[in-house]
Amino acid sequence: MTLPAQVGTGRKFFMNFPVTADSHTLAAYRGRGGYQALAKVLSTGMAPTDVTKEVTASGILGHGGAAFPAGRKWGVVKLDDGEPHYVCMNADEGEPGTFKDRWLLEHVPHMCLEGLILASYALKGRHAFIYIRGEFDLPWRRMRDAIEEAYAAGLLGENIQGSGFSLDVVLYRGAGSYVCGEASAMLASLEGKKGWPRNRPPRLTVKGLYQRPTVVNNVETLANVPIIIAEGAEAFRKVGTAKSPGTQMISISGHIARPGVYEVEYGYSWERFLYEDCGGMQGGKALKCVIPGGVSTKILSAEELKGVTLDHNSALAAGSQVGSGGMIAIAEGTCMVRLARVIQRFYHHESCGQCTPCREGMGWMERVLDRIVRGQGRPEDIDRLYHISTANDGTTICSLGDSAGYAVTAILDHYREEFEYYIANGRSMHDGTLTVTDPFAESLARWHAAHPGALSPTLAAGAH
Amino acid sequence: MSRIAHLIPEFEQWKTRYPAGFEGSLTIPCLQRIQQERGYITDADIDDLVAYLGVPRTQVDEVLGFYTMFTRKPIGRHHLQVCHNVSCSLRGAEGLVAHLCLRLGIGPGETTPDGRFTLSTVECLASCGTAPMMMVNEAFHENLTPASVDALLEALP
Amino acid sequence: MSERKTIDFFINGEPAVAYDGETVIQAARRAGVDIPHFCWHPELSVPGNCRICMVEVEQEKGDPWFDIGCNMPVTAGMRVLTESETVKKLRRDTMQFITLNHPVDCGICSKSGECTLQDYHYEHNGRPSLSIDRKNHATKFYPLSDRIMLDNERCIMCTRCVRFTHEVSQSKALAAVHRGDQALIRPAEDANFNTDAYSDNVIDICPVGALLSRKDLSNARVWYTESTPSVCPGCARGCTIDIWHRKASWKFTALDPQLNTRIERVTPRETPEVNGPWICNKARDLSALLERPRAMEALVAGRPVPTPEAVVQAAALLAGAQRPLVLVSSWASNEELAAFQSAFGERLGRSLTAVVKADHQPQPGEVEEDAILIVADKNPNTRGAMALFPAWDGTIPPATDLVVVWGEGGMAAALPAGLPVIRMSGYAASDNAEAAVFLPLSIQIERDGSYTNIDGVVNSFRGYLTKAPAVLHAIDLFPSLAAAQPPVLTGRAS
Repeated sequence: MTLPAQVGTGRKFFMNFPVTADSHTLAAYRGRGGYQALAKVLSTGMAPTDVTKEVTASGILGHGGAAFPAGRKWGVVKLDDGEPHYVCMNADEGEPGTFKDRWLLEHVPHMCLEGLILASYALKGRHAFIYIRGEFDLPWRRMRDAIEEAYAAGLLGENIQGSGFSLDVVLYRGAGSYVCGEASAMLASLEGKKGWPRNRPPRLTVKGLYQRPTVVNNVETLANVPIIIAEGAEAFRKVGTAKSPGTQMISISGHIARPGVYEVEYGYSWERFLYEDCGGMQGGKALKCVIPGGVSTKILSAEELKGVTLDHNSALAAGSQVGSGGMIAIAEGTCMVRLARVIQRFYHHESCGQCTPCREGMGWMERVLDRIVRGQGRPEDIDRLYHISTANDGTTICSLGDSAGYAVTAILDHYREEFEYYIANGRSMHDGTLTVTDPFAESLARWHAAHPGALSPTLAAGAH
Repeated sequence: MSRIAHLIPEFEQWKTRYPAGFEGSLTIPCLQRIQQERGYITDADIDDLVAYLGVPRTQVDEVLGFYTMFTRKPIGRHHLQVCHNVSCSLRGAEGLVAHLCLRLGIGPGETTPDGRFTLSTVECLASCGTAPMMMVNEAFHENLTPASVDALLEALP
Repeated sequence: MSERKTIDFFINGEPAVAYDGETVIQAARRAGVDIPHFCWHPELSVPGNCRICMVEVEQEKGDPWFDIGCNMPVTAGMRVLTESETVKKLRRDTMQFITLNHPVDCGICSKSGECTLQDYHYEHNGRPSLSIDRKNHATKFYPLSDRIMLDNERCIMCTRCVRFTHEVSQSKALAAVHRGDQALIRPAEDANFNTDAYSDNVIDICPVGALLSRKDLSNARVWYTESTPSVCPGCARGCTIDIWHRKASWKFTALDPQLNTRIERVTPRETPEVNGPWICNKARDLSALLERPRAMEALVAGRPVPTPEAVVQAAALLAGAQRPLVLVSSWASNEELAAFQSAFGERLGRSLTAVVKADHQPQPGEVEEDAILIVADKNPNTRGAMALFPAWDGTIPPATDLVVVWGEGGMAAALPAGLPVIRMSGYAASDNAEAAVFLPLSIQIERDGSYTNIDGVVNSFRGYLTKAPAVLHAIDLFPSLAAAQPPVLTGRAS
């Protein structure tokens, strides 16, 4: 598998073949050079530490949202501690706006699997896990089939390709919980329990699944590993930027003309991506703002996006993050108050309930926003929202609480006047709809006619 | 072991892929398999499963209460789960829900009197680029329009 | 102390020492610095969910960091601050969240006056709620078991109760179901919390009024009562306890006087080498054991007589017996046993035999023994008694001409018919009237004393009730009982 030449928005590791009815199969993957990395490692007897060294040298940052250097995470595990080590692929993609892991699981499941096998080899694991969200049916079936194909071809199981390395993979389905995308909650779920995250210390790389050293990596992170191993860290680093090597799978949605999954080389112009590659906004509208990498990242206005490139440093400098690569484009005229209400309903629903600030704070924020949206807002509500967000910042077990705070305060920082207007006037500054083009506009209008005075069919009478 | 006895061989097969000592992990997959067959989980299923796996009863109670995809009572034959999170809302989720409410005569959280449809609103299904959409039982139905929704409802048995 | 490695660090600028592996909250506690906490408990695992124990850690360079102290390992040279302005603000914010959905039930809640949440509200917040929105509603008066009532609105999800049942009592009876602010404590659906012999400990460890004793509910406001240290006589474990009763200054003058003396409730008194901070439910129900109908009068052949008269009769019987057998009470205190030995010292082992009986046997439905606290011997001072006298083998030696039954047990059915019996005990029983002489004795809560438990640990109890005048303290009785001279032998055949 050689690194392809520049196509479209930069060089691509994943989206470099035509998707067909069987391009996801083992045969097709092999035809594109798949499993050569694994063969290279096993046949040359490359040491596990050398595999980790290569991944570290590549500088690859985790693609789940935290952007932690993957090689450094692997390097913490003490290989000769006599304990079982586990690698877990985090396929619980639940961050709103994000659907790029889904693409990888549906179209290149073997690439993800090869990455998982290589990671397990590097970490001397005998069992590996793929935690896939329960709602993913097709991705789950494709991965299940890929695993069976791999077993049949001797790429999994005992003594893989005569190397002495053995690995069993468990494909584990989640059952409906966003917080199980958090690594420690994921492992609790893998133990057959409710998905309650854990405090650190101890880190998961010291005590993880069943108290054994565990590395959790995002799907996309693992999918990059075969390339890094096959081509080498240096070749990998030629793609992207110095601090953000490689590519980012971006899922873009919202008011954009051409939503979907795109593979973007790090360093690419954000504006060019939005206005050229994705076709700009629906109905020729102006861009109001963007949620860059899933709702847990801070919004950036159209103004703030000027000159920003798609990579970690640039995004941070602009005041946000690449995050999970779940980009949502929001057009001029969208009511940010109503949008905040939708976002906060999500966090409230998904809070696991363990720790005080998030358990109480998420419901509180939703109630305040719900009241504002129903025209019963009070001037002190804005300060309340800031207070709750700040009180969740750095005080919780996991980052669900912090993220809700960042999301809401970023909207407040940018669009305070919309909230003040709504509170003062009991209605939105804009017409209150969230769509630019609505295929169901007529049905919505009929519903409103049948329910005069009601706010929305998706909102119960008062926040639950 | 009456109600789940026929599933035990399958469960035993699954165990072979897991490391030793991971029996507790089977709680979720076993519950999913039971629900797949019956449509919901009964108290007797829980008793049988606890006996088979040797996990504390509280573990199963907590799992069933925590995850949204489990149900302890029967629901409609077709569970229409409409995402109403951010991207879907930006592309017409509200209107889709309105459409279904008007068509079926029920609200979110309700089941049609003939037991054919249950309507729910759910959070992000990672289908944002093909919004508005919904999940019907296990299948995703994307890029929905009034025509495609009506055709889908028509075609479902 | 042990050989554990120690670590030097600083709390609020003062040097402190921790053992290797300790967390900040543990080390602070030993240094006498109290870091507020709801969910942390020294005997349970660390969930770190309440967040009230946040502390500040100063850095040499850069900003300080903040994290919970219950899960923070102490490192050498660490500089911890527990009372900085930021820490105080964090506590205020946490208290705002904790009380956000908490019902203002203090006026009707039994925990009022000993409630951690109340105390922390005043200490760490003291301001009204910042929320104007309605509170969540949840189940009140949920029957968690036959003994315990759960109020879900008051619950702050600290999970101490859940962890207790999984880690200490092993019943695994409680769970936290559902998610977010809809989460609830619920019993396992096979409802085995009723069979957890340690269930009521969750009432003590609940930091709010969410878990309350159903039988003690609304008996008395805690500030009307006071506690007296005691030892549970339910078995030979001898758990140290506090018995709560009405304060004299709050006594009722116009209602049933029994309200002024009754046992309001029993709580554990922590003794690391005996019971830690736990007791079993039998101790909770001590009123059932201690407040049974009392023997209030001395009897001679079933006839009530003034006590001194009965004592004289009993002493004469004893003096005149050739081979009396005393069945010593295994509920006797060490002090009573010593008094007995001292009073009868001359005759013991010669003309008078004393053996120790088991006053109480395990009852049907009672846990006989377990690996936690409960011991099969249902008597508090067998060991103290056996240090002085041998165990009774259940038989009456053929030459015995008088049996003295001290304490309960030794039922007439077990004794040969026609053998004269002196009984002395605190409780009413049909056998009392059958005895030649019956002497009413004081019970544990009417005197001071000590018991020696199954492991040889001596635990003291204090009395808080005044005995009735006709009732005797065994310590006062024995000298009188032993003092009578044997009758001078006359020539007459007896």
